[in-house]
Amino acid sequence: MPENDFSVWRQMARFSTIGISMVAATAIGLAIGYGLDQLLSTRPWLMLLFTLFGIAAGFLNLFREVGLIQRHRW
Amino acid sequence: MATEISEEQSGGKGIWAALAILVVVNLILGVFFSSGHVSLHHAPIVQLPNFLAFLGVPGTWLPPHIFFTWVVMAILVGVAILGTRALKAVPGPVQNVVEVAIEAFCALLEQMIGKEGRQYLPLVGTAGLFILTSNLIANIPGFQAPTANWNTTVALAVTVFVSYNYFGIRKHGLVKYLKHFCGPMPLLAPIMFPIEFIGHLARPVSLSVRLFGNIFGEESVIAILLSLTWLVMPYLIWLGVMLPLSLFTAVVQTFVFIMLSMVYIAGAVEEGHGDEHH
Repeated sequence: MPENDFSVWRQMARFSTIGISMVAATAIGLAIGYGLDQLLSTRPWLMLLFTLFGIAAGFLNLFREVGLIQRHRW
Repeated sequence: MATEISEEQSGGKGIWAALAILVVVNLILGVFFSSGHVSLHHAPIVQLPNFLAFLGVPGTWLPPHIFFTWVVMAILVGVAILGTRALKAVPGPVQNVVEVAIEAFCALLEQMIGKEGRQYLPLVGTAGLFILTSNLIANIPGFQAPTANWNTTVALAVTVFVSYNYFGIRKHGLVKYLKHFCGPMPLLAPIMFPIEFIGHLARPVSLSVRLFGNIFGEESVIAILLSLTWLVMPYLIWLGVMLPLSLFTAVVQTFVFIMLSMVYIAGAVEEGHGDEHH
């Protein structure tokens, strides 16, 4: 099973991907909100709403990835 | 332990000779081709003149990431042709290497995705071998890695993104695949759908930026380090610290990219809804 091949580096590789995925999710939420605000001119509410969605998506990805690591499915 | 490996057998002298050649070639190229200042967008030494100018490609030389993508393609196609030319039951050296690579990818695919993981070998294997060769090529003096350019890594990440969604839609149908985005309870669907959508969009962004940042940063640090004129100390630091780190990062970033691709494919294709959502 997975643990017998260079497992320390593999754990490090698994955990190191979580940080940037949280940042990318927040940034994408912000970008979508900003774009929709330009279209519908509802500044700043849509931008804030989608930033919150992005942060939530980042946390969702965090829980999902940590769950996968804990169940040895990554 | 009765195994005695003589100095010639273990290849000890060969490795020192290869490192010496690497340092000497780098010194010669640095003396004759350096521009006196550090610019991270300096044209590489090995390059082709721009014969695609009629298509609108700018500059007098071909963009380095395009040229070195062709170099990587030539290497991979060459090894593939050499390895499969006269297939024997007891394989020769090149065929052995090709078989080892394919076995490694198939084992990872079956471990991550299950029994039908084998059908995704073209995507994952090609991406993995391309990224590995591209990352490793940067250590040759005068060469640049094509993955040190965000265009290449975005192309790879977008390909993986479109592919895993296509695999999911092909397996489950469009409506059922979109239902995966809606969370465990239908009541939460209006909140969960944008969150899942944004989370999925974050995947190609993080894949491309992670690979680009690692390889470009590695190259930048080595370029700045070797531009110091500190007798041979920069070259000793390069040999002792940066070259092993660069080789290690090349392999680790390939591994992370293909493992994440397989995780995304597995998430799109898996049966049984209750596995991932909590």
